[in-house]
Amino acid sequence: MLEAQSLIQLAQIILIAIFVLVCVNLYLVFRLKEIDPFKKWNPHAINGGLFMVFLIVGLIAAVVSTQEYDKYFTLLYNPNSIHGVEIDRMMWNTMFVSLFVAVVTNIFLFYFSWRYRQKKGRKALYYPHNNKLEIIWTVVPAIVLTLLIFDGVGVWHDIWAEPEEGEEVMYVEVNGKQFAWTVRYPGQDLEFGETHVSYINEDKGNTLGFNMSDKNGMDDLVTYEMHLPVGKKIDMKIRSRDVLHSATIAHFRVKMDAVPGMTTHFPFETRYTTKEYIEKFNKPEDFEFEMSCQQICGAAHNNMRLVVVVETQEEFDAWLAQQRTFAQFYEDTNGENPMARFADSEGEKKEEIEEAQPASETEEVALN
Amino acid sequence: MSEVKSVQHAGGGLHDELHDHAEHHHDHHHGNFWTNYVFSTDHKVIAKQFLITGIIMAIIGIGMSTLFRLQLAFPDQSFPILETLLGKWAPDGKLDPSFYLALVTMHGTFMVFFVLTAGLSGTFSNFLIPLQVGARDMASGFINMLSYWFFFTSSAIMLVSLFVSTGPAAAGWTIYPPLSALPQSIPGSGTGMTLWLISMTLFIASSLMGGINYITTVMNLRTKGMSFDRLPLTVWAFFLTAIIGVLSFPVLFSAALLLMFDRLLGTSFYLSDIFIGGELLHYQGGSPILYQHLFWFLGHPEVYIVLLPALGISSEVISVNSRKPIFGYKAMIGSMVGIAFLSFIVWAHHMFVTGMNPFLGTVFMLFTLVIAVPSAIKAFNYITTLWKGNIRFTPAMLFAIGLVSYFITGGITGIFLGNAALDIPLHDTYFVTAHFHLVMGSASAFGLFAGVYHWFPKMFGRMMNPRLGYIHFWFTFVSLYLVFFPMHFMGFGGVARHYYEYTNFDFMSNFGDLSVFITISAIVGFFGQFFFLANFFGSIFWGKKAPANPWNANTLEWTTPRLPGHGNWIGEIPTVYRWPYDYSKPGVKQDFLPQHIPAEEIEWEEGFQPETPQPEVVPHTAPETVDQTEEKEA
Repeated sequence: MLEAQSLIQLAQIILIAIFVLVCVNLYLVFRLKEIDPFKKWNPHAINGGLFMVFLIVGLIAAVVSTQEYDKYFTLLYNPNSIHGVEIDRMMWNTMFVSLFVAVVTNIFLFYFSWRYRQKKGRKALYYPHNNKLEIIWTVVPAIVLTLLIFDGVGVWHDIWAEPEEGEEVMYVEVNGKQFAWTVRYPGQDLEFGETHVSYINEDKGNTLGFNMSDKNGMDDLVTYEMHLPVGKKIDMKIRSRDVLHSATIAHFRVKMDAVPGMTTHFPFETRYTTKEYIEKFNKPEDFEFEMSCQQICGAAHNNMRLVVVVETQEEFDAWLAQQRTFAQFYEDTNGENPMARFADSEGEKKEEIEEAQPASETEEVALN
Repeated sequence: MSEVKSVQHAGGGLHDELHDHAEHHHDHHHGNFWTNYVFSTDHKVIAKQFLITGIIMAIIGIGMSTLFRLQLAFPDQSFPILETLLGKWAPDGKLDPSFYLALVTMHGTFMVFFVLTAGLSGTFSNFLIPLQVGARDMASGFINMLSYWFFFTSSAIMLVSLFVSTGPAAAGWTIYPPLSALPQSIPGSGTGMTLWLISMTLFIASSLMGGINYITTVMNLRTKGMSFDRLPLTVWAFFLTAIIGVLSFPVLFSAALLLMFDRLLGTSFYLSDIFIGGELLHYQGGSPILYQHLFWFLGHPEVYIVLLPALGISSEVISVNSRKPIFGYKAMIGSMVGIAFLSFIVWAHHMFVTGMNPFLGTVFMLFTLVIAVPSAIKAFNYITTLWKGNIRFTPAMLFAIGLVSYFITGGITGIFLGNAALDIPLHDTYFVTAHFHLVMGSASAFGLFAGVYHWFPKMFGRMMNPRLGYIHFWFTFVSLYLVFFPMHFMGFGGVARHYYEYTNFDFMSNFGDLSVFITISAIVGFFGQFFFLANFFGSIFWGKKAPANPWNANTLEWTTPRLPGHGNWIGEIPTVYRWPYDYSKPGVKQDFLPQHIPAEEIEWEEGFQPETPQPEVVPHTAPETVDQTEEKEA
């Protein structure tokens, strides 16, 4: 085996050496005898012609390959969010405008290169400027771009508009770290407990940094899969505890950086549940929406996958009810009940806990 | 030392003295090897130093890209060559994930700063500004020399950083903190990043010294008659580039300095609330977004620092080789001024989805799409310059036309990315990679190639082999399109940048064969560059001797002798009588009319009556008489 391989390698090296030697010889012979075998080749005709060939072959190749890969263009078809529909509409408008301009100008560029290649007796036209033409191609792009800008500003503004009064918004928090996403739901009280990096205690499983003396956090739910109810306005809070990450859900047209030291957010509303999406758009059975990280964050940057499941409100509620609250999780892991400290504290706090107690009881009931 | 002195005196009234000196100098070299070729203050030598350093950095930078392309195309395969080249960073021939990021980072750094900023601007601003404005040398030859040696030191440090034990910087060429600030987050953020910052500091100093020199030279050392509306577009481009650089590079310096403080002194400019590697860090109150603002305040103008010189070079090359005046000279200047100004107020379009206030996004989207208008004007003007020309396909011309094609194809995708709403899905996907590699990378690299092929005869007194040039062009042109066009597909597929492999995500894993295709094209393109290298270095020694003006061009550099010595012109500096684009002017015998030819020395075609001031009066009187007759008839 080895010998055969080394023989082949040897043969290759010899062939290459022969080829190089032949080239050098030919070059020397031509040079010494002042023969130029390519003298009759007209570089203007050849290069001009090649530009035309490049243009035609290039356009055909572009069309064919686009059709070939069209089915994989996740960002151009079937957005699963309300604002995504608007983004895609604008994407296609921009696509038509830009394709038209790029193709037409490239055609002119290569066609002129070929058409006006140097020939004997041709003299170039002295044509230093034409104000009318220049005004036209200043004003027309300006108008087209203005239209695109207005459209873009509108869509952009709608994405970030404050929720209307009375509109129900569901909050969910996604936390980035090297190299995973962790999801947090606010629990029964609909309020996130305070978290800060200084409270993080990895040994005790407090990876998000819950403030153990903030009762709001005790019923928060920490999960490693994101479930969302369909057709509900969702405001996704995004945080990071170490470096920059970018919470990206390609199918939802959602993307926002996770920045240590501040909370960013992205509001959106889904259109279809995962099941509906699979049926409607002929996706494979095991299709899942995925959150990825798209801001370089370290060695396993390509590995921050989070499954995002969109389901009906009932399914979502059922799933949520199965999740452990942070307090339960903490108790299970460390054997100490974090709620105990609230029972110990005096006066006002006791009342609060008494109020809160039924809530956690109902949750336990739901769990059972 | 005599050289240095003569340059310092060159400012005023010394034409005669220099005349003697230059003539004298031309015959035999003063000074020794060190003052002539190493610590030279001659702008032409410095330009060549920049060029050759740039070429070396380009070989390394492009070479790195082929290495990480191997990983992207064949994630499961092992390549013994990787282990040979990279040692511990590619155990068993498989690239280490964090070293993959280091390669990407250093590829970007090398190409953007060392090749396309210093290699392009440093070479051609230095070489062409004095020659084209009619000056003996730069305003300060000494600062110019320092500029090169700062750049050299900077390059050396950046190269050294490749060999430190924790690897070179790996946080992307934009080195966003906290990743770039914390060695715990990625090994490259250790010594490698410190060296990166030191190197970049020196680079900024170099760039500032160069820029100040270019600006001063263009403002003060133009020859008689060389008014601003007679400057070649190359000089306009270099001039504006230098202004942009001088105004924006200091901001990068401040960004780098604060990052250095965060790293070495424990300050918290960019860092806050960080828990990493199992421990809580003390940083409080800083903001990574601040860094992004500071970085992109340079970073976006940087794009135009890279691109404008290339556009200037292509304006000149296209006009000369179409044998036609550049179409819309004033519009070209106007759009370059527009681009230069707007480049300062669009930086945050890189930050639409980084947590910046969305309202700011609206403002920056407005300016960003406005900048497309002057860019469009430029593209249309290039094409109109070709129209009804008499196009001579020199290698430089091919590269200039290729540049325009890349500029259009790559620039047009900017109106996707400049639109904040469309940037949401496309940000940090391969669509962005495709966009800037075409419009900034490929177009500027083609500007560099066009410039080298075009001015090589004046640099080295010899011609490059045009046939090797053609082969080089077609290799490069086709392969770059084959590399970067398919990346748009991956971008529309949502494939993220900076990924070591795509196998973890279902929607990204459909582009495996496309990745292979891109990698093969990239490797072919890489080997195509050897035609250039052989041609370039071979022609320096063995090229055909060049005539003084091989392209029949109008600008002043072609009035110098075949190999201009120190001081550029033997005898007086020529006076300028016209703009630089009088090609194929009706009535003129030849199809070019150099800037230094006075009106009375023009050779007219037989039987052609050159215009004199008198005939201009005729049309004024003619309509009046017509009016009178009409009135009479009425």
